[in-house]
Amino acid sequence: MLLEIAHLTVRYEKAWLINDLSMSVDTGELVSLVGPNGAGKSTTLRAITGLVAWEREIKRRSTAGNIHLEGTVSFNGERIDHIPAHEIVKRGLVLCPERRRPFRELTVLENLMAGAYLERDKKKSRETLEKVYELFPVLQERSKQISGTLSGGEQQMLAIGRAFMSEPKLLCIDEPSTGLSPLMRRDVFDKIIQLKSMGITILLVEQEVRTVFKMATRNYVLSSGKIIAQGSGEELLENEVIRKTYLGL
Amino acid sequence: MNIIISGLIMGSMLALLGIGFSLIFGVARIVNIAHTAFYMLAAYFIYQLSIKLGLNPILGMLIAVTTVTLLGLLVYKFLIDPIREHEGAVLIATIALAMVFQEGVLLSFTGDYLTVDFLIDGFFTIGGVKVFYQQLLTFGMVLLAMAVLWFLLMKTKLGLAIRSMAEDREIANLMGMNESRLAMITLGISVALAGFTGAVLAPLTVLNPYMWMEPLIMMMAVVVLGGLGSIKGSVVAAFILGFAEAAVVFLIPQGAFLKGSVALTIMILVLLMRPEGLFGIVFEEER
Repeated sequence: MLLEIAHLTVRYEKAWLINDLSMSVDTGELVSLVGPNGAGKSTTLRAITGLVAWEREIKRRSTAGNIHLEGTVSFNGERIDHIPAHEIVKRGLVLCPERRRPFRELTVLENLMAGAYLERDKKKSRETLEKVYELFPVLQERSKQISGTLSGGEQQMLAIGRAFMSEPKLLCIDEPSTGLSPLMRRDVFDKIIQLKSMGITILLVEQEVRTVFKMATRNYVLSSGKIIAQGSGEELLENEVIRKTYLGL
Repeated sequence: MNIIISGLIMGSMLALLGIGFSLIFGVARIVNIAHTAFYMLAAYFIYQLSIKLGLNPILGMLIAVTTVTLLGLLVYKFLIDPIREHEGAVLIATIALAMVFQEGVLLSFTGDYLTVDFLIDGFFTIGGVKVFYQQLLTFGMVLLAMAVLWFLLMKTKLGLAIRSMAEDREIANLMGMNESRLAMITLGISVALAGFTGAVLAPLTVLNPYMWMEPLIMMMAVVVLGGLGSIKGSVVAAFILGFAEAAVVFLIPQGAFLKGSVALTIMILVLLMRPEGLFGIVFEEER
């Protein structure tokens, strides 16, 4: 298994965001994590990439509340739950965050180069940049533009491109289609499939369940911080209770 | 003419101080009240080295800036870093630090007004106003420092990391940027800038243990006007304030008495009308 999460629990003060969650992702898969709003999908991604621990450290130091984090996360056979976020990236576990979050004051090119911050070999990062431009030609056209002025779809492309610059083995993408036009959404999903065919394992959090079920090799349904079902898209859609209660289809 | 010269020098000095103050605030959210106290320390180090010990002034400057920077890093490591996430505590700690520096200077150099010699003597006259070569030299040095800083921030990987961290530290973490290391480096740069400002300005000013207060207020006004965290804003605002102050001093009869109120007036007006300043950045965590 490339990624293995066991008994993950996240608690903010008294709110249980994740409750004893276990799941895994194998190399080459495109695994989706779906479920209603507030189920803990984003928190799961933030926990495995080290952001929850980072936040806990800040809260601890400013004595502004308490975050409780438990459980084990292994990546490529190595425990990563005690490694800081900026070290986790080095191992190839990369998060493309919710709301895209480009560095708005920086140009498109600068954003992409920020993604390649850890790559010391300039030639290699230039090659990766070529690949990103091939995948997202619009980013090359706009390379000198300030990122805050891009459209939502372009910002999403930039966010994925920037994550790609970090040379991911496993790319976690958090709600890439939110706030985009139907046309733009299809484009984004196409790119994700393309990434998968380039050999990148993908863990995708999405609201648009129908589309995702067609793309994914396996799916987890999350509700109130717990995995309540898993399987292929067809299997999950056959189950009336899950379909109606948790997926709203 | 007087206004232009005085405004340029005042503005450039404020710009350097403001940039340093903005930088460390942007990257680590540290409001360093002691920023201008480092500026004072550098000036006093130069006095000690070049006047008391008779060292070559340029060598003295180098030693002064280096010492102040090292001192800043030590202070960061042992005083600021442990309480970094606690804004109130940082504020109090840095005020205390400035006081410590002030009293330290008072004890070792007494409260007498001291001066440092010009590096180059002589002057020329334009429009009936004497311009000292030292003033030109100081201005040139400040411009040089700004150019170096611009290159560092805009053209190097370190600069990219600093700018990324300043905008969204969570995402910067995700790119593999080490927050505490960057904060340390940025603090070093910030204090070095304060020290450098003190060093090049020392010959043009009168040293006393309270000399950190006035630039502190001016610098705060610069940062408020320019927008906290914005480097471009700091530079523009610094020159606006520098010229505004010079204009008040030279154009209004007895204007020197009003000098201190210029910055504060501008600061209050900005806070009332446009709290984010000219080029304010909305930080990601506030969005």
